Amino acid sequence: MAEVIIFGLMALPALAGGVTVVLARNPVYGAMGLLGSMLALGVLYVAQLAHFIAAIHVVVYAGAVMTLFLFVIMLIGVDRADDQNERLPRQRQLVILGVLGIVATAFAVAFSGRFSWVIAATGERIPQATNGTTVALARVLFSDWVLAFEATALLLTIGSAGAIALASRRGKPVDLPIDPEVTS
Amino acid sequence: MTFEIDYLALAPELVVAGTIIAALLLDLFLTRSKKYWVAVLSVVGVAGGLVPIVYMLAEGGTRSMFDGSYVVDEFALILKIVFLVSGYLVLLMSVSYIEADRYYQGEYYFLLLSSILGSLVMSSSRDLIVLFIGLELTTGPLFLLAGWRKGDAKSNEASLKFFILGVLSTAILLYGMSLLFGLTGSVEFTAIAAAIPDLVSEPALALSVLFLIVGFAFKASAVPFHFWAPDTYEGAPTPVAAYLSVNSKAAGFVAMLIVMYTALPGISEVWAPALWVLAALSMTVGNLSALRQGNIVRLLAYSSIAQAGFMLVPFAAAAVAGSDLAQAFSATVVYLVIYALMNLGAFAVVIAGARRTGSGDIDDWAGLGQKDPVLGLLTALFFLSLAGIPPLAGWYAKFVMFASVIEAGGISTLVLAAIAAVNSVIAFYYYARVIKAVWLDTPSEELLARPGREYAGSIKLTLAISMGLTIAIGIYPTFATYFGEASRVIATGGG
Amino acid sequence: MIVTAGWYMGLAAILFAIGALGILIRRNALVMFMCVELMLNAVNLTLISAGRELGTLDGQVSVFFVLVVAAAEVVVGLAILVSVFRNRATASVDELAELSG
Repeated sequence: MAEVIIFGLMALPALAGGVTVVLARNPVYGAMGLLGSMLALGVLYVAQLAHFIAAIHVVVYAGAVMTLFLFVIMLIGVDRADDQNERLPRQRQLVILGVLGIVATAFAVAFSGRFSWVIAATGERIPQATNGTTVALARVLFSDWVLAFEATALLLTIGSAGAIALASRRGKPVDLPIDPEVTS
Repeated sequence: MTFEIDYLALAPELVVAGTIIAALLLDLFLTRSKKYWVAVLSVVGVAGGLVPIVYMLAEGGTRSMFDGSYVVDEFALILKIVFLVSGYLVLLMSVSYIEADRYYQGEYYFLLLSSILGSLVMSSSRDLIVLFIGLELTTGPLFLLAGWRKGDAKSNEASLKFFILGVLSTAILLYGMSLLFGLTGSVEFTAIAAAIPDLVSEPALALSVLFLIVGFAFKASAVPFHFWAPDTYEGAPTPVAAYLSVNSKAAGFVAMLIVMYTALPGISEVWAPALWVLAALSMTVGNLSALRQGNIVRLLAYSSIAQAGFMLVPFAAAAVAGSDLAQAFSATVVYLVIYALMNLGAFAVVIAGARRTGSGDIDDWAGLGQKDPVLGLLTALFFLSLAGIPPLAGWYAKFVMFASVIEAGGISTLVLAAIAAVNSVIAFYYYARVIKAVWLDTPSEELLARPGREYAGSIKLTLAISMGLTIAIGIYPTFATYFGEASRVIATGGG
Repeated sequence: MIVTAGWYMGLAAILFAIGALGILIRRNALVMFMCVELMLNAVNLTLISAGRELGTLDGQVSVFFVLVVAAAEVVVGLAILVSVFRNRATASVDELAELSG
């Protein structure tokens, strides 16, 4: 019963946050909506015994990623809501209607089907295996998935090295003159 | 849970990873005029990655790690050779281009090497997580590389479009993967394949397969998920466009085939028609759009979309007809190997030609053959090969494709073969248009007046290697057949 | 009443659809990117509830990797956006018409 209440309390803000991202004219509101949605999802992760994931979800997503988003929004100044006059052309409306129809049908088909293990699943769970504590996750992560783990290290290096190369400004922004002294 | 790392099996990846770190460090200590040493290091490192692969191929056998989620069989080794050789050629053609462009050089090689490493990891992956990481490692650096000419608005836009659609495709792909994991209860391909027969009636399974196909089709830029490709190719630095059209396309393509072949053969009635439609649309739309292009890079972009359609044909045909998928796999790999060589050659010609004429418009290339006969001959060679004219390598690719379709039999496959045949003719027309401009049109005063500069050694080497292999495979196709035959090992050993 | 994985999967499906809708109707690159993040969150929720239902940690491991990849992508994406803004002061995809056609 407790889980029902938690689910109800957290699903609503998660959805409301998502809707805000889509509808808010001002990207700052959108970012806040996304932040709220992520925090609510974090609680739902805890409710599903994914403790470690919930923690890094909040730290990485809600903390680092959303801060970066807000920072960039402020840096480039779209907080002045410059897309107030975003207008949808007619054909785009039609496309959206079509896609919505497809998505709705797809989900109706998907969830009206047997979907056996989801709908019919009863409480037969293995708490030890699913209890996502730091120790349990680390065991798997550093044995079975150590290769993928190392690869993600490179992925993050790519992110930072590439961002430095791409976003750093030297001299005039458009002409990009040579700067022989700085060899980052 | 046994946990052992086979360092020989990982040697190609380790060599490239070592090169990446060395390149990043070396870059710190070099002054601007000496940056080409990073390029030299990268080229040597990538070539070094080939050594353990050749050793393992000679030794034979299948090496498997992490409970079968990372498999080094002949199929994986063949793909690694393709990725390394085309990566090597792209690195070579980048050297003079990047040096002349005055943007960051060290990081450029770092990112390109990382992308090559990603495709190496991807070719060995036999589970959803490693496949996903490998694919992301392949495409992630390319978002940045597409926008490398950051003072240029076109390059900016190329990179932004590519990025938004790239992450969107990642999200769609991941949702498909998450549903697949939920339904089958595993991320490993063999376990997924074993669970599929009980779930065939599940609508959610069909949905997840479609999500996967959409995600992969974006990465492989197959129609109707191709619209980012021409803009991105045109805006990106030309060597990056070459890389996108060969390595990154092949990575998305191969990932799709690996998943369909090893994990989802039990539900081919869902994905086979989807691949059939993708192949037919890619060939037709790609070719018809290529007819209207005035810019040579955009022409090659649409041509590579169409070529991806041809590449899909054997696999889609065999799946629809329900015949031997292993045979189709080898035809696809042969096509991929040949396409990689001739397309990289064509892009190297574009780099050299753009330097010579100062333009990417086909009209401005008029009379290039008179100004520079060697470059004119090379243009004719690579574009005729792309069109599939014997005795250049392209004809054998087309031959293998048609042969495997005929072998599959059935009405729907013959329709696909007919579409492919019509498209080959259309393709010939626009490839020939470039050759006509280069050889038959009169050169402009401006072109004749331009000083004839010497090309950099690296671009000459790129052209020489791809020309040599294109002619060699055209005359001795057994060489390419070896690649195809070896790639069938996935059917018996790895799968 | 028990909360089954189906509830979470349904919530995730709706979040995914909202994100996809956002991609279609919004033209601001930043907002589109945030919509992709929303879709990735839906993926994570699906993976976690599926993993819990199946009694395996693989779902949570997958979420870990999705998280890391998403974080790396955010850095890449925001770098690209900043570099676009250096040259033009707009985030609207429609106003970038240099390469149309």
